Amino acid sequence: MTIIEQLNSVKDTVPHYWPIGSFIHHNPLKGFEGLHFKDGLIKAQSIFGGKVYMDSSYYMDLYQQGKIHDSVFESNLTKVLIEKGFDIPLDFAKKFLMEVSPKWSSLRIKLLSEKENIDHQLYLYLEEKSIYHNEKAWLNKLIKHMTLYEINDALFGGDDKEGVQKNIIEFISRFLDEDQTTMRMPNRELGMFEAFKLFENFTYDKNVESFVEESLEKLHVKDTESYFLTHLLKLHGWAGFIKYRSEDPDYISQRQHPSRLIEYMAIRLYYELQAMKNNKLSNFDLFEEYSNNNLQDSILKLLKHKNMLFGQTLDSIEANEKTIKILSEYVTNELNLDTLQIQHSNQVLQSNLPLTQLATILQNLRKEEGYIWLKSLEDSYIHSYLDKIIKIQAKEGEKVIASATFCLDVRSEVIRRSIENSGPYETYGAGGFLGIPIAFVEFDKAHELFLSPAIVKPQNVIFELPNESHEEYSSKIGMNKTIKKVLSDLKNNPYTPYIMVEAIGWIFGINLFGKTFLPQKTNKLLSKLKAKKPKTNYTLDKLSVEEIEFYVKKLHTKIIHSVLADSSSHDYTKDEIDVIRNHLIFNDDLKIDIPDEIIEKLKTAHQITAEDYEYQKKKLTMVGFTLEEKVSYLYKYLTMIGQINEFPEFVTIIGHGSVSDNNPFESALDCGACGGNISLPNTRVLCMIANTKNVRVKIAEKGINIPESTKFMPALHITTTDEITFYDTDILTDDEIQKFSKVTDDFNKASKLSRVERSKSLPYTHTEKDIIIKSMDWSEIRPEWGLARNMGVFAGPRTYTKHLKLDNRFFMHSYDWKIDNDDAEILTRIFDGPLIVGEWINLEHYFSTVDNHVYGAGSKVYHNVVSKIGVFNGNYSDLKIGLPIQSVYLEGKAYHEPIRLLSFVEAPLEKVGKAVENSIAKPFILNEWIRPVIIDREAKKVYSYENGEFIVIREIK
Amino acid sequence: MIIDIALLILAGGLPYYIILEKSTRLNSKYIFLLSAFLLLCAVVLSLSIPNEHPASLIVVSLLSAMFSIYKATKTTNFYKLGYYLIFVNAPFFILFKNRGVLYSLSLLVSLTGLYLIAKFYEKNYGSANYSNITGITLVTPCLGTYLTFYLIALALYPPFPNSLFFLSYIFKSDPNLLSYIVVITLFFGNFFLAMRVMRKTLFGRPNSNIHYIHMTSKEKSIHLSILILLLILSIFGLKETLL
Repeated sequence: MTIIEQLNSVKDTVPHYWPIGSFIHHNPLKGFEGLHFKDGLIKAQSIFGGKVYMDSSYYMDLYQQGKIHDSVFESNLTKVLIEKGFDIPLDFAKKFLMEVSPKWSSLRIKLLSEKENIDHQLYLYLEEKSIYHNEKAWLNKLIKHMTLYEINDALFGGDDKEGVQKNIIEFISRFLDEDQTTMRMPNRELGMFEAFKLFENFTYDKNVESFVEESLEKLHVKDTESYFLTHLLKLHGWAGFIKYRSEDPDYISQRQHPSRLIEYMAIRLYYELQAMKNNKLSNFDLFEEYSNNNLQDSILKLLKHKNMLFGQTLDSIEANEKTIKILSEYVTNELNLDTLQIQHSNQVLQSNLPLTQLATILQNLRKEEGYIWLKSLEDSYIHSYLDKIIKIQAKEGEKVIASATFCLDVRSEVIRRSIENSGPYETYGAGGFLGIPIAFVEFDKAHELFLSPAIVKPQNVIFELPNESHEEYSSKIGMNKTIKKVLSDLKNNPYTPYIMVEAIGWIFGINLFGKTFLPQKTNKLLSKLKAKKPKTNYTLDKLSVEEIEFYVKKLHTKIIHSVLADSSSHDYTKDEIDVIRNHLIFNDDLKIDIPDEIIEKLKTAHQITAEDYEYQKKKLTMVGFTLEEKVSYLYKYLTMIGQINEFPEFVTIIGHGSVSDNNPFESALDCGACGGNISLPNTRVLCMIANTKNVRVKIAEKGINIPESTKFMPALHITTTDEITFYDTDILTDDEIQKFSKVTDDFNKASKLSRVERSKSLPYTHTEKDIIIKSMDWSEIRPEWGLARNMGVFAGPRTYTKHLKLDNRFFMHSYDWKIDNDDAEILTRIFDGPLIVGEWINLEHYFSTVDNHVYGAGSKVYHNVVSKIGVFNGNYSDLKIGLPIQSVYLEGKAYHEPIRLLSFVEAPLEKVGKAVENSIAKPFILNEWIRPVIIDREAKKVYSYENGEFIVIREIK
Repeated sequence: MIIDIALLILAGGLPYYIILEKSTRLNSKYIFLLSAFLLLCAVVLSLSIPNEHPASLIVVSLLSAMFSIYKATKTTNFYKLGYYLIFVNAPFFILFKNRGVLYSLSLLVSLTGLYLIAKFYEKNYGSANYSNITGITLVTPCLGTYLTFYLIALALYPPFPNSLFFLSYIFKSDPNLLSYIVVITLFFGNFFLAMRVMRKTLFGRPNSNIHYIHMTSKEKSIHLSILILLLILSIFGLKETLL
């Protein structure tokens, strides 16, 4: 295998990290989805450490609250006892899991001071089964996933790890910076490794792969893949981000400043070699020799380094006692505690089993308990919800004035229910991108946003163009930008802050006190200063070939003109600029005299090249939609949610976004199906398409007749405040406006109802005003609960869930299997997009809750934004993956209930089977990273997918 | 002269380094208690027999204090740290003359808090060694808060009385080279020792090998009363500094 192949074989252990500006919820164990959930968790735990299930005391609390049903728990436990061949009675196992296991760790601490009699036979048995008697194996276990500099630190008390990590983070955070700093790193366009050579001022003529190979040779690394993994795990947030960038050719910063994982590896190894220069053990052979000669000493030091020693042993080390004595006492102490734990358990369980047999059983039970509890919690919820869902029979729909489609996001559940209760309205749920993946270029912005699930690459580019005069907007924007830049420059300059604080510091005081004591009024005042965006339209139609050629030429000409104006005093004519362009792109002869540096600058820094020309043309051919595409997208959308006839007068499609202050994780609260962005553009695009005459004619040919009187109206739902704002209302006639005002009034009432309901669940919130203030309070760590407590997805007709209070815990996608074809194409699309997004959100929350230190972002208190791509702790640390602890915990207790996504699908089993087979989500569905529950009303059965098969869990009467 | 030697024996680290350190009978907990008692005796003695101390005594106690700082950086046991801190601060006691009494009293109260924390560790984690008990601010915030208060007081941070009496001394004494050296050395000595403990046990990632124990209500109220006592002393300290 080549060095790249070796790196590729381990890189998927580290998940992608998307920049925080468009936060993508994802499964941190995505690389393990090829394994069954339970096995994946075991493997991940062996690599990352940490916890993968909640503590059993947590589940016991839920059991006592009645959330875990006793019968379900017993049934799951029985299954495990049979499957694993544990020859013990159910009551015995249950008693252990409920009475002994929750106290297992605390018991060990308690036993430290107890002097009970040790059962010698059990002690010997545990000693034989332990790793302690094989010191070499013990040492290897301890150094697993340790770099050489860490081993040196552990053995000789150095601090190389800090130095190495600090150097790496300093370089990569500066290299990957996305305009946070005013002092940019030079030469980044050369690529990460080339820039690094200049940064560290060393020369190396061969390529990066050779550098890595040579470095590994110098360190005498025996297992390259394993060592790559070790290095990736050290700063796996940063590694995940570099991996993401390198695999996304459209990522702007990656195009400008290319980086690859192998280059990151080279940087890590460079610093490791630097650190090793002055160390006693500068390669693994020397370490092996040293450890062979000082085996016990090495083990003891590694145990100390890994914080595995109790205080008494640490005191002995401090007192300079002999290593052999200390280690022997440590082993004795550990085995004594293990023995006492079993003896104590036996006292509680009153078992007649020999202690040695009991020890094996308890050990195996403890391995299984996390999954037993988790599955029991899930099954209990499945049964509770099934009780409610299957009772409801489909009813004939009443005539409605308006329909409202929301994103399937859990936060739309309360507002949908409130709208339905506010008048004759029906609601639908769909993936927030509405099945139209678009690359959106907002008015006044230069970059495109991918408004689609992270796994989907949009093929249509949409530009937002102003409909009306925008001088005032542009001048305000210009002014705000200038002020921001001046302040930022003053703040970041090493000298000016001293003067700045004295001179204009008081201005910030207004903001500080205003936002703290009068948030609403200050927000109102500040919003007046903000530029008001003019009314806009979207480029929905395709460009002609001539138009494409014209725009590309215009872009290049503008760049060349600007570079020439900056670099030369000579005034170049339009023809000369054309000659330069033709030379750069078509390789024509350069008939004019121009310095080589300028040509080079245009090629490298501004990328005026043949490749870029083709790239720009390709991009422009992606602008807008063909008529067929428009019809196809609209058709797919309507059939996906099952809205194919009896269209009301107003079909509202409501995107969503979140508003909060001083919150780097704000985009995590936006639409996940739109790549962590606000989904308004998708709703506007779809409404514009649906309101187009020729689209309606064409779609009628496909069997969907949309009456002429029906208007598709886009809107935006702010999930923090539940406010709904409609857009493009100027398409309505006066009569329609009058009718539509009733709809907006009712929706406003629904917003109010929703706020009141939500105010009861948010901490320190009592009224709907408190909810509004949370969205503008800069000290608020939970502007909304967001997606916390998400637990399931329901794909089916709204009728079955309409009257259920689901407390914003379910993703709800409308789906009518009767209009799906035999290949279940619609359901497959739901699995391919919304279900994947739901699974990522769900598992991101799951793992951030079970171990926030390993899979989450830790406390917001310590966070600082770094390079505008994420947050880290203090002034340098790993890039924080996952969710902050405040997003999933409340006052030290888990607010989010970590369970796999309970995926209820209302459809015949065959259809679901087809969809699973055809879907890209198949691996994680079949490996049970979600919990599929099929409600087949035709067959009058409910199925659950367990252990590789669909089993009937309920008969519908 | 006899009084000076007595004070050095009582408040400085001399008896410890000569006798106690070598003894296997006394463990660190009892040495801590004994050292605190000896310091208390020194306080009483200096109250009953006020006197001027020669520079040589201050130099000896400073050297002993510097050695104690070095020793304190080598331990991660709260008991040991406690008595090292007593020895580190002995020169202050001698240098401060009458004001040294209140400073020493504040020191003893802060160290009582530290002693109780050490006892808590010993009871629940088997030893007063804090090296492996990391990240307590996150896991057991109440314990973390009290320990932070004691360490801040020992690090000579206001508004705790140690810092106020210390400041009062600086304001009211006639400075000379020796006092400069003593003040600077011991100020930074106290500060770095306290910060070292904070870095090791208060912050960082909690140790997954440890089952963390929370304080009981009784323990919390005892610590609260020590904190109140410290704040009362702070009022005296403030008065002393301002008047």
